[in-house]
Amino acid sequence: MILPILGLVAGFAIGYVFPVVIPLAYAKLFSVALLASLDSVFGGLRAALGGHFDNTVFISGFFTNALLAAFLVFVGDRLGIDLYYVALLTFGFRIFKNLAILRRHLLKKHGLERPHLPDE
Amino acid sequence: MIRFRQGRWSIACVCMVLGFMVAVQLRTTADMKGSVSYQRIEEITARLLNTEQERDGLKEELSALRKQKASEAGGSISEDIRLRAGLTPVEGEGIIVKLEDSSATAKAGENPNLYLIHDDDLLKVINELRAAGAEAISINGQRLIGTSEIRCAGPTLSVNNVRSAPPFEIRAIGDSKSLESAIRMRGGVAETLKVWGIQLEVSTSSSVYVPAYKGSTSHTYAHETEEKEGESK
Repeated sequence: MILPILGLVAGFAIGYVFPVVIPLAYAKLFSVALLASLDSVFGGLRAALGGHFDNTVFISGFFTNALLAAFLVFVGDRLGIDLYYVALLTFGFRIFKNLAILRRHLLKKHGLERPHLPDE
Repeated sequence: MIRFRQGRWSIACVCMVLGFMVAVQLRTTADMKGSVSYQRIEEITARLLNTEQERDGLKEELSALRKQKASEAGGSISEDIRLRAGLTPVEGEGIIVKLEDSSATAKAGENPNLYLIHDDDLLKVINELRAAGAEAISINGQRLIGTSEIRCAGPTLSVNNVRSAPPFEIRAIGDSKSLESAIRMRGGVAETLKVWGIQLEVSTSSSVYVPAYKGSTSHTYAHETEEKEGESK
């Protein structure tokens, strides 16, 4: 668990120190890509908790999801279709769902969940 | 808590990429908030224009009051000095020179800059006019005084720190014949500019109006002093 967190901190530091700024025209694409990768990470965490984590699936999903999301938004922009909001909704929805599942997994693991109670 | 059996390093890499993206996104968002919006620019521009108008109005009021005071004092010398300094509008015999960018298009490989009017073209014209004895000169309504500049300002020219674009109209008061011949002189300014197709039009008139200098005349650094023998050379 310590290694991914170290990686996260290192990446954050690099991003903060390096003078990389996304041009305004691509800021939208980048934010969608970021959301997609966040979704992948939460999905990976959930899979790990569920015990069916697959490294290849996780890593390929991380990159393809981000790139595909950005590409779709880009194409949508060209076609005049606001796929941006679609991507936001989809990924946002999935992130919340994954978070909920994560929470229940953790609660179950620590025996805090009362049995047979509907989701709040 | 959570254990990854396989590929710990690759997950670390992925996390690093994620951290990088988050950091970049954070900074981009911060930058966007820091920049000035178009609306704000427009607002400020409008306010600047208003203030400039107010300033011009006050300046006019000031000059009117000064004139009133001067006429009360009845100082003919000060009136003469004001005329020399370009603080009063003047009228008299003179010429009007109109300059316009070339209508010819540059041929392939040629520098299109050659077909435009530049600050030094105007400077040459002004220099000729002064040499021919022009007493008062204005460019596009800007009276030339001792501290006036004629300077390239992107696609426009700046005179008295006011920008104007072609066509340029130079009004000069003086002996109209000598002024005209100074411009039209063989090998002179008109001929040189004509090579590049720049349209130069000279017309003489018995009454040319040259407006007054409207800028400020305050001096911050220069002070009046006694004449010094050693340093006058």
